[in-house]
Amino acid sequence: MLEGKQLTLLQDINLAVSTGETIAIVGSSGSGKTTLLSILAGLDLPSEGEVYLKKKPLHQLNEEQRSQVRSEHVGFIFQQFLLISSLTALENVMLPAELANDDNAQQQALDLLAQVGLSERANHFPAQLSGGEQQRVAIARAFITKPDVLFADEPTGNLDRETSTYITDLLFDLNTRYGTTLVLVTHDLTLAERCQRRVEMQGGRLIDDQYVNDINTEQSCAVKKVEII
Amino acid sequence: MKLPVPNWAKQSVRLLTHELKRGELTIIVLAIVLGVASVFSLTGFSGKIKQALLNESTTFIAADRVLQTSREIPFQKQTSEPDALSFDEISKRSQALNVKQAEQVLMSSMVFAGDVMALVEVQAVSSSYPLRGDLLVRYSSKKNKSIKVNAPELGTVYIEEKLLSLLKVSIGDVIEIGESSFVIKAIAEQIPDASFSVFTSGVKVILNLADLNKTQLVQPGSRLTYKYLFSGDIDAMHSLTQWLNPQLNDSQRWYDIQSKQSPLANALNKAEKYLSLASLLGIILAAVAVSVASRRYAQRHQNNVGVYKAMGASLSHIRKMYYLHWSLLSFFSILLGLLVGYILAQLGFHAIKDYLPVEFTIDSASDISFTGLITLGFYPFIIAVFTGLLCALAFAITPLKELIATSQLVVIRGRNLKPTNQKTIVRLRQSVIPLSALILLLFVFSNDLMLSASLLIGGIIVSGLLLIFGRVLMKVTRNIGTKAGASWHLALANLQRRAQENSVQLVSFTIAINLLLMIIVIRSALLSEWQAQLPDQTPNLFLVNIAQNQVDSVEQFLEQQDISASDLYAVIRGRLTAINSDKISKNVSKERMDGSDNGRKGVGRELNLTWRASLPNENTVIQGKWWQSELADANIPQVSIEKTLAKRLDINVGDSLTFQLGSEVITVPVTSIREVNWQSMQPNFYMIFNPKVLADYPASFISSLHVPLDKKVPLQEFLSAYPTISVIDVDAMILQLRKVIEQVSKAVEFILVLVIFAACLVLVAQVQASMEEREREIAILRTIGAKGTLLRNSILLEFVALGAIAGLMASVAMELTVYLLQSNLFKMQTSFHFEYWFFGIFAGASFVGLVGLLSCWRLLNMSSVTLIRRTM
Repeated sequence: MLEGKQLTLLQDINLAVSTGETIAIVGSSGSGKTTLLSILAGLDLPSEGEVYLKKKPLHQLNEEQRSQVRSEHVGFIFQQFLLISSLTALENVMLPAELANDDNAQQQALDLLAQVGLSERANHFPAQLSGGEQQRVAIARAFITKPDVLFADEPTGNLDRETSTYITDLLFDLNTRYGTTLVLVTHDLTLAERCQRRVEMQGGRLIDDQYVNDINTEQSCAVKKVEII
Repeated sequence: MKLPVPNWAKQSVRLLTHELKRGELTIIVLAIVLGVASVFSLTGFSGKIKQALLNESTTFIAADRVLQTSREIPFQKQTSEPDALSFDEISKRSQALNVKQAEQVLMSSMVFAGDVMALVEVQAVSSSYPLRGDLLVRYSSKKNKSIKVNAPELGTVYIEEKLLSLLKVSIGDVIEIGESSFVIKAIAEQIPDASFSVFTSGVKVILNLADLNKTQLVQPGSRLTYKYLFSGDIDAMHSLTQWLNPQLNDSQRWYDIQSKQSPLANALNKAEKYLSLASLLGIILAAVAVSVASRRYAQRHQNNVGVYKAMGASLSHIRKMYYLHWSLLSFFSILLGLLVGYILAQLGFHAIKDYLPVEFTIDSASDISFTGLITLGFYPFIIAVFTGLLCALAFAITPLKELIATSQLVVIRGRNLKPTNQKTIVRLRQSVIPLSALILLLFVFSNDLMLSASLLIGGIIVSGLLLIFGRVLMKVTRNIGTKAGASWHLALANLQRRAQENSVQLVSFTIAINLLLMIIVIRSALLSEWQAQLPDQTPNLFLVNIAQNQVDSVEQFLEQQDISASDLYAVIRGRLTAINSDKISKNVSKERMDGSDNGRKGVGRELNLTWRASLPNENTVIQGKWWQSELADANIPQVSIEKTLAKRLDINVGDSLTFQLGSEVITVPVTSIREVNWQSMQPNFYMIFNPKVLADYPASFISSLHVPLDKKVPLQEFLSAYPTISVIDVDAMILQLRKVIEQVSKAVEFILVLVIFAACLVLVAQVQASMEEREREIAILRTIGAKGTLLRNSILLEFVALGAIAGLMASVAMELTVYLLQSNLFKMQTSFHFEYWFFGIFAGASFVGLVGLLSCWRLLNMSSVTLIRRTM
């Protein structure tokens, strides 16, 4: 509600994302892509409509239940990296595995740090790392629980072109290796082009939906008619 | 077997250790450490100082507390008086509390040496007398070294030197007291509880209490005073008091040095109040620091909580993790605080040990440990831990709860999702816990609900006013700033733009500076009051018993020698026998039957009456009016009565009092009630008549003099011609008084230093709290090309302006609070202190400016790239 008027952020959204699919949500600033992402990931709830993630009806779940779903199925990568500044790179990567009560968190984290090329930096704190390195730690952190779905919010938004390319390669490489469904929000058309599917948003609506390649059709994430006040 | 540690605990400990190492928790740790340390050291230190000062001053009553009565307390309970105290019970209770005991019996009696006799004050003391202070004697009449002793051996006495000449005896001779003879063993040089009263001028003879029965002086009807002396640590004396008080009857008085009306008690009472007040303010400062720091802590952790939640951490996981984190942090800080507080208190003791009497530490063996450090006891420990816990819990609970409730959406939308338009009612509800905690702390500490509540309510009102006033002031300065240079412009624009945070900051700066100024101002007011109490010309000698025909020559001598003296006061002994038509004597005999004649002045005993044409100095008429010298008024017989006696006997202006003077009876109306400064070293009287009534009665005269050392010999020579005039030398007492007051002043100064320290830390914590936002701003300004000097100057000036405004507001607030404290708490002359306004403003501006600039220095010298990376 803004000055008594209803403000509709998302409208008539019908979207189904299949397992293993990589999908880019593009659109100008304020088009509603980030809002959509937060609803898809169960961070936020729509005021109307239904949202399913791995067959779980997110719209019927409370905060705690959605947390549970996230810890089982979801990974995140953020534009601001959002590493915990007082934990080392290794500890940051371990975090989601620990939350899922994985006993082998440390070894897995070391493996993943090796995969993103940061073995040497395992005991460094975020402030001691460059932007690109921080995002690599964030990527390692996102993959440690082998999530079914990975949500990435402008993952290259804070990086220079060269680093962006490196991070994008890394992201898609790991994604293929782990068979993860990737939902990413971006302004960056080069990044969007790397995805199998591209949806475009404008004024809270989906205006375009293009498939680049054929994909597996198992439904894993559905949003039907999402509306936010 | 290794116990499985849950993940939340692991994560919590990991977070804590890293954050501690990386210095991210320094401010919050410092805040709690400051709170605990200042409370621990202030309580421990002021407690010790209080005890030390009391020990020093209690030498004036030879004990910590005295139970005084006119009837002996029976060894065992009498069946006829089941409620009465028994000595046996008192002893057992005292032993259980580790309280030392002594007894003495006082009476007037004649002593004989052959044919010569003299009236003396017999003081029969038990072997452990005195419990406090020293009884000093010398074993020859030559002025050699005096020796510290307890009660004399059986069959011997210590006497005051004057008695040697009165009885024409010397040391080793035998004197008779009652039915028994005693050998004079030594001359008593200093008797710790010798009376201050100039009217009890009897020469003292000290004998062993075990010899008292032999003298057969104790007969039915003898006028005796029994004093049971007790000494022990503060807590023990407190619990003994609690136990004893309800059991006392009207004739039994349970007093300590502070309940005696003396300049010393007055100074001590005020010093104690000051120390408590300073400690209370220390607590408030600590609470402010913790609350500032915990808010910052919560803000800094918002992103982390968001990330945890986004990654699927359950609410209970986060709750457990942060509660453990906070608990460990508090535990660590409290521990560190105790250590720092302990060191501070020890440093304090060392700094002032030269001024404090040594005996206070060896007085009770438990007070000193082998290393020579002074143990502080349990009370400061408990109250400091309690303060730490309460601060850590109550002042952090709301920010912590808000932190845990942080929405996972911060990861998408950025920090500070907390609605800024929070309803006032919600905010008020949130402040209930910390405020109740604060009042609880103040109450536990001061044991005075009224004082705690008024400090708190006053504080809230003042803070509210300051908040409004600060905003207005910032707006005004902004307008001025637009006309000033670029640095000023930027500084004042910043100040106004962040008005909300700044006004909170401003209030805490103001409170810190205000408390500081208050402590400084009250300290100097107290010191000057104490100084004024014992000016250089304080009378140190009383001449008593000057006969009417000696008055002229005494006056002449004093004038010749240029010795300053009070007027000569006539003294006529008389007994108050009736108030209006109520006879006093009846009451007395009835009281006697109840076993109550506690010998209080003005009740059932002779009073020293005097007459004056004009109102004496240090006397103020508070009701009725003083007689005029015109004939009509002067011819009417009238009396003026002292306030406390009037209250005690329920006498009002207009009542008529009947006195018996020898065989004559006079009845006069009361025409005024006076307030008397009993602390002035001059003859003071309960009853003053106009000359018409008493001028023709035979009287002796009394005067107080200030006799410099070089005039003492001529005075002695002069007085040798008048053997009937008694001299009471109070030089020793005044000297001791000066010493105690000097010590009190030192104690007050030390506490001041601690409070200054506490206030400085609050300022630093508050400046630190705004650092992150400043970092972001500096980054932006640097990016758009602001020069280093411009940034540096604008930051410096912003803090200077903030400090100066805080200093100004603190000065106003200080003036108000000091006025209230002086008039209500300290009951002293109120005063204004404009000279401190400049100090407040200057100190505020320079300190806040300096701390602000130093805190930002690192940021200012960073390259733009580093800054941007840090803040992104």
